Amino acid sequence: MTTLMSKGATLAVALGIGAVIAAGGAFAHNDPMPKGKMTPAAHAAHMRHENFEKLGAAFKAVIDETKKSNPDKALVARSTKAMATLTAGLPTWFPRGSGVEARAKSEAKANIWTDAAGFTAAASASQLQVSKLNQAAISGDMDAVRAQIRATGGSCKGCHDKYRQEKKS
Amino acid sequence: MADAPSGVRVRLWDGPVRLVHWLLVGLTGFSWWASDDHLDWHQWSGYAIVALVLFRIYWGFVGSGSARFSSFVRGPGATLAYLKTMRSRAPSTTPGHNPMGALSIVAILLVLLVQVGTGLFAVDIDAYQGGPLSDRVSFDLGRQIAEIHELSFRALQALVVLHVCAVLFYLVWKRTDLIRPMITGQRLLPSDPGLSRAPWWKLALGIAVAVAVAWALSKGLRF
Repeated sequence: MTTLMSKGATLAVALGIGAVIAAGGAFAHNDPMPKGKMTPAAHAAHMRHENFEKLGAAFKAVIDETKKSNPDKALVARSTKAMATLTAGLPTWFPRGSGVEARAKSEAKANIWTDAAGFTAAASASQLQVSKLNQAAISGDMDAVRAQIRATGGSCKGCHDKYRQEKKS
Repeated sequence: MADAPSGVRVRLWDGPVRLVHWLLVGLTGFSWWASDDHLDWHQWSGYAIVALVLFRIYWGFVGSGSARFSSFVRGPGATLAYLKTMRSRAPSTTPGHNPMGALSIVAILLVLLVQVGTGLFAVDIDAYQGGPLSDRVSFDLGRQIAEIHELSFRALQALVVLHVCAVLFYLVWKRTDLIRPMITGQRLLPSDPGLSRAPWWKLALGIAVAVAVAWALSKGLRF
Protein backbone atom coordinates (compact mmCIF):
# COMPACT_ATOMS: atom_id res chain seq x y z
CA MET A 1 0.00 0.00 0.00
CA THR A 2 2.67 2.49 1.00
CA THR A 3 4.77 1.61 -2.05
CA LEU A 4 1.75 2.18 -4.28
CA MET A 5 1.03 5.56 -2.73
CA SER A 6 4.62 6.72 -2.92
CA LYS A 7 4.83 5.61 -6.52
CA GLY A 8 1.70 7.62 -7.20
CA ALA A 9 3.19 10.68 -5.53
CA THR A 10 6.38 10.49 -7.57
CA LEU A 11 4.47 9.99 -10.80
CA ALA A 12 2.27 12.98 -9.94
CA VAL A 13 5.33 15.19 -9.50
CA ALA A 14 6.82 14.00 -12.77
CA LEU A 15 3.51 14.41 -14.62
CA GLY A 16 3.32 17.94 -13.22
CA ILE A 17 6.70 18.71 -14.77
CA GLY A 18 5.45 17.36 -18.10
CA ALA A 19 2.24 19.41 -17.89
CA VAL A 20 4.17 22.63 -17.25
CA ILE A 21 6.35 21.94 -20.27
CA ALA A 22 3.31 21.22 -22.43
CA ALA A 23 1.53 24.38 -21.23
CA GLY A 24 4.60 26.46 -22.02
CA GLY A 25 4.52 25.15 -25.56
CA ALA A 26 0.80 25.70 -26.00
CA PHE A 27 1.16 29.43 -25.39
CA ALA A 28 4.14 29.67 -27.70
CA HIS A 29 2.59 29.82 -31.12
CA ASN A 30 -0.57 30.95 -32.88
CA ASP A 31 -0.19 34.63 -33.54
CA PRO A 32 -3.30 36.06 -35.18
CA MET A 33 -3.36 39.45 -36.88
CA PRO A 34 -3.84 42.07 -34.13
CA LYS A 35 -6.95 44.21 -34.30
CA GLY A 36 -6.80 47.98 -34.72
CA LYS A 37 -4.38 50.36 -36.40
CA MET A 38 -0.74 49.53 -37.02
CA THR A 39 2.11 50.77 -39.18
CA PRO A 40 2.28 49.50 -42.78
CA ALA A 41 5.49 47.63 -41.91
CA ALA A 42 3.87 45.85 -38.95
CA HIS A 43 0.89 45.02 -41.12
CA ALA A 44 3.21 43.57 -43.77
CA ALA A 45 5.01 41.47 -41.14
CA HIS A 46 1.74 40.04 -39.83
CA MET A 47 0.37 39.42 -43.33
CA ARG A 48 3.60 37.64 -44.19
CA HIS A 49 3.21 35.37 -41.18
CA GLU A 50 -0.35 34.50 -42.22
CA ASN A 51 0.73 33.87 -45.82
CA PHE A 52 3.50 31.51 -44.75
CA GLU A 53 0.99 29.67 -42.56
CA LYS A 54 -1.24 29.27 -45.63
CA LEU A 55 1.72 28.18 -47.76
CA GLY A 56 2.77 25.58 -45.18
CA ALA A 57 -0.79 24.32 -44.82
CA ALA A 58 -1.17 23.97 -48.61
CA PHE A 59 2.15 22.12 -48.96
CA LYS A 60 1.25 19.83 -46.07
CA ALA A 61 -2.09 19.10 -47.75
CA VAL A 62 -0.21 18.02 -50.90
CA ILE A 63 2.19 15.83 -48.91
CA ASP A 64 -0.52 14.20 -46.77
CA GLU A 65 -2.75 13.55 -49.78
CA THR A 66 -0.02 12.03 -51.96
CA LYS A 67 0.93 9.66 -49.13
CA LYS A 68 -2.43 7.97 -49.66
CA SER A 69 -2.67 5.09 -52.11
CA ASN A 70 -5.53 6.80 -53.95
CA PRO A 71 -5.00 10.57 -53.65
CA ASP A 72 -7.70 13.12 -54.42
CA LYS A 73 -6.11 14.68 -57.53
CA ALA A 74 -8.41 17.71 -57.49
CA LEU A 75 -7.45 18.49 -53.89
CA VAL A 76 -3.76 18.17 -54.75
CA ALA A 77 -4.14 20.47 -57.78
CA ARG A 78 -6.11 23.02 -55.73
CA SER A 79 -3.37 23.02 -53.08
CA THR A 80 -0.48 23.36 -55.55
CA LYS A 81 -2.34 26.19 -57.30
CA ALA A 82 -2.68 27.97 -53.96
CA MET A 83 1.05 27.42 -53.40
CA ALA A 84 1.89 28.84 -56.83
CA THR A 85 -0.27 31.92 -56.23
CA LEU A 86 1.26 32.48 -52.78
CA THR A 87 4.89 32.04 -53.88
CA ALA A 88 4.30 34.35 -56.85
CA GLY A 89 3.60 37.10 -54.32
CA LEU A 90 6.32 36.04 -51.87
CA PRO A 91 8.95 38.60 -52.95
CA THR A 92 6.47 41.40 -52.14
CA TRP A 93 5.96 40.12 -48.57
CA PHE A 94 9.24 41.61 -47.38
CA PRO A 95 9.07 45.42 -47.62
CA ARG A 96 12.10 47.07 -46.05
CA GLY A 97 11.53 47.69 -42.33
CA SER A 98 9.14 44.74 -41.85
CA GLY A 99 11.59 42.61 -39.87
CA VAL A 100 11.85 42.27 -36.08
CA GLU A 101 11.59 46.05 -35.79
CA ALA A 102 7.99 45.78 -37.06
CA ARG A 103 6.98 42.56 -35.32
CA ALA A 104 9.03 41.25 -32.41
CA LYS A 105 8.24 37.62 -33.19
CA SER A 106 9.30 37.97 -36.82
CA GLU A 107 11.85 35.36 -37.85
CA ALA A 108 13.02 37.39 -40.85
CA LYS A 109 16.77 37.90 -40.77
CA ALA A 110 18.34 41.26 -41.59
CA ASN A 111 20.30 39.74 -44.51
CA ILE A 112 17.03 39.55 -46.47
CA TRP A 113 17.59 43.25 -47.07
CA THR A 114 21.38 43.50 -46.89
CA ASP A 115 21.74 40.54 -49.31
CA ALA A 116 18.72 41.42 -51.43
CA ALA A 117 20.14 39.81 -54.59
CA GLY A 118 20.75 36.49 -52.82
CA PHE A 119 17.30 36.58 -51.24
CA THR A 120 15.61 37.31 -54.57
CA ALA A 121 17.48 34.39 -56.15
CA ALA A 122 16.37 32.06 -53.34
CA ALA A 123 12.77 33.23 -53.70
CA SER A 124 12.92 32.68 -57.47
CA ALA A 125 14.31 29.18 -56.96
CA SER A 126 11.33 28.43 -54.71
CA GLN A 127 8.87 29.83 -57.28
CA LEU A 128 10.42 27.59 -59.95
CA GLN A 129 10.12 24.43 -57.83
CA VAL A 130 6.54 25.25 -56.82
CA SER A 131 5.54 25.89 -60.43
CA LYS A 132 7.00 22.50 -61.39
CA LEU A 133 4.99 20.96 -58.57
CA ASN A 134 1.87 22.71 -59.81
CA GLN A 135 2.49 21.52 -63.41
CA ALA A 136 2.84 17.95 -62.18
CA ALA A 137 -0.42 18.25 -60.24
CA ILE A 138 -2.24 19.71 -63.26
CA SER A 139 -1.03 16.75 -65.36
CA GLY A 140 -2.61 14.48 -62.74
CA ASP A 141 0.53 12.35 -62.47
CA MET A 142 0.74 11.75 -58.73
CA ASP A 143 4.12 10.02 -58.99
CA ALA A 144 5.50 13.15 -60.63
CA VAL A 145 4.01 15.22 -57.79
CA ARG A 146 5.60 12.91 -55.21
CA ALA A 147 8.94 13.18 -57.02
CA GLN A 148 8.77 16.99 -57.04
CA ILE A 149 7.90 17.30 -53.33
CA ARG A 150 11.48 16.80 -52.20
CA ALA A 151 12.88 19.52 -54.49
CA THR A 152 10.10 21.87 -53.38
CA GLY A 153 10.78 21.25 -49.69
CA GLY A 154 14.48 21.71 -50.38
CA SER A 155 13.84 25.15 -51.87
CA CYS A 156 11.86 26.18 -48.75
CA LYS A 157 14.69 24.94 -46.56
CA GLY A 158 17.34 26.59 -48.74
CA CYS A 159 15.81 29.97 -48.03
CA HIS A 160 14.97 29.26 -44.36
CA ASP A 161 18.51 28.11 -43.55
CA LYS A 162 19.95 31.40 -44.79
CA TYR A 163 17.32 34.04 -44.21
CA ARG A 164 15.29 32.85 -41.24
CA GLN A 165 16.26 32.94 -37.57
CA GLU A 166 14.39 30.53 -35.40
CA LYS A 167 12.59 32.10 -32.47
CA LYS A 168 11.80 30.14 -29.37
CA SER A 169 8.54 31.01 -27.62
CA MET B 1 36.45 0.66 -6.59
CA ALA B 2 36.43 2.30 -3.21
CA ASP B 3 33.46 0.42 -1.84
CA ALA B 4 33.61 -1.48 1.41
CA PRO B 5 36.52 -3.90 0.87
CA SER B 6 34.73 -6.81 2.53
CA GLY B 7 31.75 -6.87 0.19
CA VAL B 8 30.17 -9.39 -2.09
CA ARG B 9 30.21 -9.09 -5.84
CA VAL B 10 26.57 -8.80 -6.91
CA ARG B 11 25.07 -8.96 -10.39
CA LEU B 12 23.17 -5.71 -9.90
CA TRP B 13 21.99 -4.58 -13.34
CA ASP B 14 20.68 -7.06 -15.86
CA GLY B 15 21.68 -6.89 -19.53
CA PRO B 16 18.46 -5.25 -20.77
CA VAL B 17 18.71 -2.38 -18.24
CA ARG B 18 22.29 -1.62 -19.23
CA LEU B 19 21.68 -1.96 -22.95
CA VAL B 20 18.59 0.30 -22.81
CA HIS B 21 20.53 2.85 -20.76
CA TRP B 22 23.46 3.15 -23.16
CA LEU B 23 21.33 2.93 -26.31
CA LEU B 24 19.20 5.80 -24.98
CA VAL B 25 22.36 7.81 -24.34
CA GLY B 26 23.64 7.17 -27.86
CA LEU B 27 20.35 7.61 -29.70
CA THR B 28 19.36 10.76 -27.77
CA GLY B 29 22.67 12.34 -28.71
CA PHE B 30 22.31 11.15 -32.28
CA SER B 31 18.74 12.48 -32.53
CA TRP B 32 19.91 15.85 -31.27
CA TRP B 33 22.65 15.98 -33.90
CA ALA B 34 20.33 14.77 -36.67
CA SER B 35 17.58 17.28 -35.82
CA ASP B 36 19.20 20.01 -37.92
CA ASP B 37 19.78 18.54 -41.34
CA HIS B 38 19.00 14.82 -41.18
CA LEU B 39 15.36 14.60 -40.21
CA ASP B 40 14.90 11.14 -41.79
CA TRP B 41 17.64 9.72 -39.55
CA HIS B 42 16.14 11.71 -36.68
CA GLN B 43 12.84 9.91 -37.26
CA TRP B 44 14.42 6.45 -37.40
CA SER B 45 16.33 7.18 -34.22
CA GLY B 46 13.04 8.31 -32.66
CA TYR B 47 11.32 5.02 -33.52
CA ALA B 48 14.16 3.15 -31.85
CA ILE B 49 13.74 5.36 -28.77
CA VAL B 50 9.98 4.61 -28.76
CA ALA B 51 10.78 0.90 -28.63
CA LEU B 52 13.43 1.36 -25.92
CA VAL B 53 11.24 3.52 -23.67
CA LEU B 54 8.23 1.21 -24.03
CA PHE B 55 10.43 -1.78 -23.30
CA ARG B 56 11.98 -0.08 -20.26
CA ILE B 57 8.55 0.75 -18.80
CA TYR B 58 7.44 -2.85 -19.37
CA TRP B 59 10.70 -4.09 -17.83
CA GLY B 60 10.01 -1.84 -14.84
CA PHE B 61 7.09 -4.11 -14.02
CA VAL B 62 8.38 -7.58 -14.99
CA GLY B 63 12.18 -7.24 -15.15
CA SER B 64 14.76 -8.41 -12.68
CA GLY B 65 14.81 -7.03 -9.11
CA SER B 66 16.75 -3.80 -9.60
CA ALA B 67 14.89 -2.96 -12.84
CA ARG B 68 11.46 -2.82 -11.20
CA PHE B 69 9.82 0.49 -10.32
CA SER B 70 8.45 -1.10 -7.16
CA SER B 71 12.02 -1.75 -6.01
CA PHE B 72 13.19 1.87 -6.31
CA VAL B 73 10.36 4.42 -6.55
CA ARG B 74 9.81 5.94 -3.09
CA GLY B 75 7.46 8.51 -1.62
CA PRO B 76 8.36 12.06 -0.52
CA GLY B 77 9.11 10.96 3.06
CA ALA B 78 11.62 8.28 2.17
CA THR B 79 13.13 10.51 -0.52
CA LEU B 80 13.63 13.39 1.93
CA ALA B 81 15.12 11.04 4.50
CA TYR B 82 17.56 9.78 1.88
CA LEU B 83 18.34 13.34 0.78
CA LYS B 84 19.46 14.13 4.34
CA THR B 85 22.00 11.31 4.26
CA MET B 86 23.51 12.48 0.99
CA ARG B 87 25.92 14.92 2.65
CA SER B 88 27.65 12.07 4.41
CA ARG B 89 30.77 10.88 2.66
CA ALA B 90 30.00 7.25 3.45
CA PRO B 91 29.91 5.21 0.24
CA SER B 92 26.47 4.56 -1.21
CA THR B 93 25.28 0.98 -0.72
CA THR B 94 21.76 1.06 -2.17
CA PRO B 95 21.35 -2.17 -4.19
CA GLY B 96 19.92 -0.38 -7.22
CA HIS B 97 18.56 3.11 -7.76
CA ASN B 98 18.49 5.19 -4.59
CA PRO B 99 15.34 7.33 -4.01
CA MET B 100 16.92 10.38 -5.69
CA GLY B 101 18.07 8.29 -8.63
CA ALA B 102 14.53 6.96 -8.88
CA LEU B 103 13.24 10.50 -9.39
CA SER B 104 15.79 10.95 -12.14
CA ILE B 105 14.77 7.70 -13.90
CA VAL B 106 11.03 8.42 -13.73
CA ALA B 107 11.44 12.04 -14.86
CA ILE B 108 13.72 11.09 -17.77
CA LEU B 109 11.36 8.32 -18.91
CA LEU B 110 8.35 10.66 -18.74
CA VAL B 111 10.08 13.46 -20.65
CA LEU B 112 11.24 10.89 -23.22
CA LEU B 113 7.59 9.87 -23.61
CA VAL B 114 6.60 13.51 -24.17
CA GLN B 115 9.52 13.78 -26.58
CA VAL B 116 8.60 10.82 -28.79
CA GLY B 117 4.87 11.50 -28.39
CA THR B 118 5.17 15.05 -29.72
CA GLY B 119 7.66 13.89 -32.35
CA LEU B 120 5.02 11.61 -33.87
CA PHE B 121 2.79 14.63 -34.65
CA ALA B 122 5.38 17.37 -35.17
CA VAL B 123 5.61 19.23 -38.48
CA ASP B 124 8.79 20.88 -39.72
CA ILE B 125 8.84 24.59 -40.64
CA ASP B 126 9.02 23.69 -44.35
CA ALA B 127 5.97 21.40 -43.92
CA TYR B 128 8.08 18.97 -45.93
CA GLN B 129 8.85 16.64 -43.06
CA GLY B 130 6.65 15.54 -40.21
CA GLY B 131 6.13 12.72 -37.77
CA PRO B 132 4.31 9.60 -39.00
CA LEU B 133 1.05 10.78 -37.42
CA SER B 134 1.38 14.41 -38.56
CA ASP B 135 -1.26 13.95 -41.26
CA ARG B 136 -3.78 13.74 -38.38
CA VAL B 137 -3.12 17.39 -37.41
CA SER B 138 -3.19 20.75 -39.19
CA PHE B 139 -0.01 22.55 -40.20
CA ASP B 140 -0.49 25.09 -37.42
CA LEU B 141 -1.13 22.48 -34.72
CA GLY B 142 1.78 20.40 -36.03
CA ARG B 143 4.02 23.46 -35.68
CA GLN B 144 2.86 24.05 -32.12
CA ILE B 145 3.56 20.42 -31.30
CA ALA B 146 7.01 20.80 -32.85
CA GLU B 147 7.64 23.71 -30.48
CA ILE B 148 6.64 21.57 -27.50
CA HIS B 149 9.00 18.93 -28.93
CA GLU B 150 11.83 21.47 -28.76
CA LEU B 151 10.87 22.73 -25.30
CA SER B 152 10.67 19.24 -23.84
CA PHE B 153 14.10 18.55 -25.29
CA ARG B 154 15.41 21.47 -23.21
CA ALA B 155 13.85 19.78 -20.17
CA LEU B 156 15.49 16.49 -21.19
CA GLN B 157 18.87 18.20 -21.51
CA ALA B 158 18.47 19.68 -18.03
CA LEU B 159 17.57 16.25 -16.60
CA VAL B 160 20.56 14.62 -18.30
CA VAL B 161 22.93 17.28 -16.93
CA LEU B 162 21.47 16.79 -13.45
CA HIS B 163 21.79 12.99 -13.78
CA VAL B 164 25.45 13.19 -14.84
CA CYS B 165 26.22 15.72 -12.06
CA ALA B 166 24.67 13.37 -9.50
CA VAL B 167 26.73 10.42 -10.75
CA LEU B 168 29.89 12.56 -10.58
CA PHE B 169 28.90 13.69 -7.08
CA TYR B 170 28.76 10.03 -5.97
CA LEU B 171 32.09 9.36 -7.67
CA VAL B 172 33.95 12.31 -6.13
CA TRP B 173 32.21 13.00 -2.82
CA LYS B 174 31.14 9.50 -1.85
CA ARG B 175 33.89 7.67 -3.76
CA THR B 176 31.21 5.35 -5.15
CA ASP B 177 31.60 4.47 -8.82
CA LEU B 178 28.10 4.09 -10.27
CA ILE B 179 29.31 4.17 -13.87
CA ARG B 180 31.22 0.88 -13.99
CA PRO B 181 28.30 -1.19 -12.68
CA MET B 182 26.09 0.29 -15.41
CA ILE B 183 28.63 -1.10 -17.91
CA THR B 184 29.59 -4.43 -16.34
CA GLY B 185 26.42 -5.04 -14.34
CA GLN B 186 28.55 -6.04 -11.34
CA ARG B 187 28.85 -4.17 -8.09
CA LEU B 188 30.51 -4.75 -4.75
CA LEU B 189 27.92 -4.48 -1.97
CA PRO B 190 28.11 -5.17 1.80
CA SER B 191 25.65 -8.02 1.43
CA ASP B 192 23.80 -9.86 -1.32
CA PRO B 193 20.37 -8.20 -1.73
CA GLY B 194 19.06 -11.40 -3.33
CA LEU B 195 17.71 -9.78 -6.50
CA SER B 196 15.20 -11.76 -8.50
CA ARG B 197 15.88 -12.47 -12.18
CA ALA B 198 13.29 -12.40 -14.94
CA PRO B 199 12.73 -15.44 -17.19
CA TRP B 200 13.95 -15.13 -20.81
CA TRP B 201 10.47 -15.38 -22.31
CA LYS B 202 9.39 -12.19 -20.56
CA LEU B 203 12.35 -10.49 -22.15
CA ALA B 204 11.46 -11.87 -25.59
CA LEU B 205 7.81 -10.85 -25.16
CA GLY B 206 8.76 -7.30 -24.14
CA ILE B 207 11.12 -6.86 -27.09
CA ALA B 208 8.55 -8.22 -29.52
CA VAL B 209 5.75 -5.95 -28.26
CA ALA B 210 7.96 -2.83 -28.07
CA VAL B 211 9.34 -3.35 -31.57
CA ALA B 212 5.86 -4.07 -32.98
CA VAL B 213 4.38 -0.89 -31.46
CA ALA B 214 7.29 1.25 -32.67
CA TRP B 215 7.02 -0.26 -36.14
CA ALA B 216 3.26 0.38 -36.27
CA LEU B 217 3.78 4.01 -35.18
CA SER B 218 6.53 4.47 -37.79
CA LYS B 219 3.96 3.42 -40.42
CA GLY B 220 1.56 6.06 -39.11
CA LEU B 221 -0.72 3.24 -37.90
CA ARG B 222 -1.63 2.57 -41.52
CA PHE B 223 -1.21 -0.92 -42.83
